[in-house]
Amino acid sequence: MKTWPMWIAGTIALAAVFHILTVFGLPYGIMNRAMAGISAQAGGVNKAIYPDRPSAEARGIVRPSPDLLYTACVYDVSKQPVKLTSPVPDTYWSLSTFAANTDNFFVVNDRQVKGGNIEIILAASDNAATPKGIPVVVAPSARGIVLFRSLVTSEESVVEIDALRRQANCEPL
Amino acid sequence: MKLAFKLVTVLIVALVLGAGSVILVLRAGGLGNEVTVGPWETSLVTGSSQADPYTRARVAIGGLLALNRSETIYFTAPRDDAGDTLRVSCSYKVIGSDLPARWWSITLYGEDHYLVSNLQDRYSFGGETVAREKDGSFVITVSPDETDGNWIPTGGGQNGDTFTLTLRLYNPDERAAQNPGGIVLPRIAKEACLS
Repeated sequence: MKTWPMWIAGTIALAAVFHILTVFGLPYGIMNRAMAGISAQAGGVNKAIYPDRPSAEARGIVRPSPDLLYTACVYDVSKQPVKLTSPVPDTYWSLSTFAANTDNFFVVNDRQVKGGNIEIILAASDNAATPKGIPVVVAPSARGIVLFRSLVTSEESVVEIDALRRQANCEPL
Repeated sequence: MKLAFKLVTVLIVALVLGAGSVILVLRAGGLGNEVTVGPWETSLVTGSSQADPYTRARVAIGGLLALNRSETIYFTAPRDDAGDTLRVSCSYKVIGSDLPARWWSITLYGEDHYLVSNLQDRYSFGGETVAREKDGSFVITVSPDETDGNWIPTGGGQNGDTFTLTLRLYNPDERAAQNPGGIVLPRIAKEACLS
């Protein structure tokens, strides 16, 4: 009996499995690599980094905007909630959070924040013990990335915006 | 021994076919192209929890940490108005008017998705920085050779022979966010190429 049709069918079936695993695994793999890079620079999770303004030398995250100053941290809510704080400048600014599968599960911008500062708590569930009065965002994955964006409106404003964004922080509760 | 050889061959061929087909599918879709406006493409579900696995994979490779479209719409142009791939050895005029968003910018990226080095450290123009014509419109020259006015250098090919332009619309107007396909976007006209 000829067995080559069975071998071909098996190869195609296995290729389909590899295809699906690659498509589903790529976002997690690339996010893991990004998280490893940020936490290595920060000296651990739940600590912020303040990278230089993106230029041709930047190789951390693909397609960075040269018009923004970024602050980033890896959040890890597996042991305790994480508090995100930042002053809010008088220009476009946003705080966004990304799950381990790349989903942008929360974003708030300067126009949506009352007052000049923001405090947000990231938690693994609604039941986590958190201080009253601070909004809680439930993270869909235990680890992910927090990214603060601050728009540089002119070269003259860089120093002021840079000083403000360096006050943004991520810290365990 | 013969069986082991066959099994290893099947495994290798399946791995190449499986991973190779993913690369082909993702390359064909760019950074997501359900919506096109002239040479510009975008995905309606970038960054969203409704994103399908292929969109997530595309975003992870070429647009990690992209915001969802209520906050920012990202259009990418890999081609000019005529449908030709954007090349670093060619000159283009990007011609348009202010866009329906609180802030917008147009940025050039190399084939590797990173900014392209140039002596001027110039990678983009936006609503805050672009010089406008008398009628309020703008013309941005994208070329290897320096020009007067708004100029984004294509570089010397250090990031590959081709490039893409990304148009960011931060805090898009409600109508634009609802219907990105209805936004009037800049034209990308090829002028000349170095031989």
